[in-house]
Amino acid sequence: MKRLRNSLSAGRNILGISTVISMVLFFLLYSVSSVLSNSLDTQQMAERWSKEKDVAQISCFFSSDAGVSVDSIESFRHTLDTALMEASIVQDSTNAGARLWADAYSAEGKISVKSERATVSADAIGIGGDFFLFHPLQLLYGAYFSGNDYNQDYCILDEDAAWQLFGSNDVAGMMVTIGGTPHVVAGVIHREMGRLSEAAGLDSTVVYVSYSTLDTYGQNYGINHYEIVMPNPVSDYAYNYVKEHIGVPEKQLEVVENSGRFDLLSRFEILAAFGTRPMTGKAIIYPYWENVARGYEDIIALITFLAVLFLMYPTVLLLILFVIYWKHKTWSARTIYLFLRDKWERKMEDVRAKRLRRKAHKDTFDDEEEYI
Amino acid sequence: MMNDSGSKRRDWVKNVAIVFLSVMLILTFFSNTIMNYSLPEVATQYVMPGSITAKIRGTGTVESSNPYNIQVNETRRVESVLVRSGDTVKKGDVLFILADKESNELKAAEEALDALMLDFELQILSGSISSSVVSNVQSGRTSTVAEYQSRIVAAEAEIDKWKKEIAEIEVAISQLQALQSQLSVSRPDTKEAEAKLAEAQAAYNLVADPVNAAQVEIDSWKAEIEKNQKLIEEHDAKTNGYVSGGDFINNISQEEYNTAGVLIENYTERINRKRQELLEWNPNYEAELVRLKEEVDKAQTNLTNDQNYIVNSSNAVSVQLSNWNLELSDKNKKLAEANQAKTQLLSDIASQLNLEKKMEKIHEQREEVNRLREQAMGAEILAPISGTISSVNVVAGQNTTAGSAIATMQPEGAGYTLSFSVSNEQARKLNPGMEAELVNSWRYDDVVVTLNTIRTDPSNPSSNKLLMFDVKGSVMAGQTLNLSVGNKSANYDLTVPNSAIREDNNGKFILIVESKSSPLGNRYKATRIDVEVMASDDTTSAVKGGLSGYEFVITTSTKPVEAGQLVRLAEN
Repeated sequence: MKRLRNSLSAGRNILGISTVISMVLFFLLYSVSSVLSNSLDTQQMAERWSKEKDVAQISCFFSSDAGVSVDSIESFRHTLDTALMEASIVQDSTNAGARLWADAYSAEGKISVKSERATVSADAIGIGGDFFLFHPLQLLYGAYFSGNDYNQDYCILDEDAAWQLFGSNDVAGMMVTIGGTPHVVAGVIHREMGRLSEAAGLDSTVVYVSYSTLDTYGQNYGINHYEIVMPNPVSDYAYNYVKEHIGVPEKQLEVVENSGRFDLLSRFEILAAFGTRPMTGKAIIYPYWENVARGYEDIIALITFLAVLFLMYPTVLLLILFVIYWKHKTWSARTIYLFLRDKWERKMEDVRAKRLRRKAHKDTFDDEEEYI
Repeated sequence: MMNDSGSKRRDWVKNVAIVFLSVMLILTFFSNTIMNYSLPEVATQYVMPGSITAKIRGTGTVESSNPYNIQVNETRRVESVLVRSGDTVKKGDVLFILADKESNELKAAEEALDALMLDFELQILSGSISSSVVSNVQSGRTSTVAEYQSRIVAAEAEIDKWKKEIAEIEVAISQLQALQSQLSVSRPDTKEAEAKLAEAQAAYNLVADPVNAAQVEIDSWKAEIEKNQKLIEEHDAKTNGYVSGGDFINNISQEEYNTAGVLIENYTERINRKRQELLEWNPNYEAELVRLKEEVDKAQTNLTNDQNYIVNSSNAVSVQLSNWNLELSDKNKKLAEANQAKTQLLSDIASQLNLEKKMEKIHEQREEVNRLREQAMGAEILAPISGTISSVNVVAGQNTTAGSAIATMQPEGAGYTLSFSVSNEQARKLNPGMEAELVNSWRYDDVVVTLNTIRTDPSNPSSNKLLMFDVKGSVMAGQTLNLSVGNKSANYDLTVPNSAIREDNNGKFILIVESKSSPLGNRYKATRIDVEVMASDDTTSAVKGGLSGYEFVITTSTKPVEAGQLVRLAEN
């Protein structure tokens, strides 16, 4: 009997400890997944743009034969302003120059950058709009430039390019030559390293130039990316608007809502698409940041799956315990009611008694005063 | 045992408590350090007064503002090129030496002339052109359009004349034909004569038929009689011949001879009987026949006369018609000849005009050949003006192209231009007359570049403008210059590095660092200040906002920083 009692007690201990471990693992994995999902700055533009969760970041990726041009993007911008006005979405900030939306586009290619010391042929990303608003790369020196600046003869080098061209990273403001035309080094960035980044396409020197520089002096593979952060008054408003009005057929276009891609529901959708997710009939080459994000999606989905498994164990266990307890409970609703009523009556008695005592005490005090 | 387990438990609890407290102590002791390392590290700069020089940069190629093209008008081979781009030459200096050969244009012109001559001669000898035409063309006897027209008019008049006569004849013919038809329609009635003839014929036949039938019999009997008589005569002749000494060959037998005699008598008898029968029938049958015959003839004659009246009239008209038709045929022939004459005239005129045109082209081509011969260039090309060679477009051994420039010169004293395209927004900040600075200006001693005009960029009229600059100094055409042009520097009270400017849907802002003292040391917090960017250049922006100056503004950070977040300053 004692042995049975001991073994039962050991079993309970084991269950208890394993439940605790499982819960701890669940919280750990869930935290890791949350940290990972918030670690990609390129996917957090909506949070940076507005704290009130009334905006969405939408990214579009085009196949090389989609024929997207600067003019078509400009045309989309004009229609967007009109659409927002028709939907009574206006800018109510007191800050002059505040914008309802911001966008950016880019094209990949190759370019040759020359300094007095060396010439570097590098992968190039020709940017337009506020690219670095969406992609706040880690700046080591200098500043970002924008496609909306007056001058477009800027470039941003990564550490490798800066080292090859100048032998240093602190080269913001120095001049390089691209296609025989001087360009100003606006800044130097730290290129992301790691297995995922290299697999995503960030495995060699990259230079960021304006789209007009890439188109004029480099080898331009065509605009393959456009993204925008814009008001999202109702769910999917921004996503649907961009998809319908960007002017590219569905076969040549992939639209992603970055804001919610790491939500719990999205993670389960990715798990549900296991096996079919790598399949695609569209000839779209994603830029490196999107490849990284997709890699993170898979990792976070897997972590979420494991976390759910670890959560299921204590949940099932608790459920079983609850059922057992319920079956063997010694109380009922009536007993609880009686207990509570009893408590209440006692409390009321105590209050009455206290009141009586106070009254008696006051009468005595009044008598003494009269006496004095 | 109970006490042992109780004491073990108490020891265990005590140890756990000690460990826990130790960890808490260490964490508390190093909490500041740990917290600092978890905070984003930021770099800061002062917000301070400064100047902003907003310049527009661009690159263009220097071009001659008044280039002089040295052209050749024929295709010649270049023997040698004596100048290079950038050389300064004086008027009359030898620039190129050409091969001393007939130009391709002259050769081509001569060949064209030969071709025209050949064509002309072939046409003359083709046989389709009359000799008078050839003679006129060769002797230069040209006619005017009026003369050709008058000849054509005369030919047409001739045709008209024949046509008119033919028309008259046809009218006459048609009248005669009408008359003829009238005659056939209005013939006298011959029915009575025909009836009389029929009656007479019937009466005649009544008598004649039996007579003729009897006569037929009589004739047949007579024929028999003759045959038999011939037989008898033949027999008699043969017999007489023998008697007179001839051969005795008599083919006719005595029986036959006798039979013949009998037959003769029979037939004679029959004839006489028949005649008798006729006389008995009608003793005057012969006279009757004659009389009836005469009546028939008379009736016939009457009828014939009636009919002949019509025929005679028709014949007269026919004869006239025939005559007119002959006349008509003759006139038609003459008309055809007149038409042919006109056709020939038109052909001759066309041929003459064609030949005259060809002759004219031959004359022109001959003049062209002569002109080219006169203008044939010599072997040297000299500088037409003094100046600088901007570009040389041929090399030795290459052929020149007629009408194209083999070199371009910058006239002495003339300036240069340079242009590049900028956006409309950039162009709004510029005004003609602004002086541009050269990037790497230390390379250029005396080069002055001034903005001359701002015009619409024809390659992108909706969004770009073309800036046209005047360039003076030691430059040459084809050189690339990098310029920056804009307003002079402006001073502002508050300037920040460009990397400090951030933006969200509430507009642009900066994050300044505010420090607060705390028991564990200074704490730095990022605070948002909304700003408006008034001007910016490559590195700095002038801002306006809730700043007093000399605040620490966050320029870069190791992690994204939000307003209200604690940060730590970079150690340097």
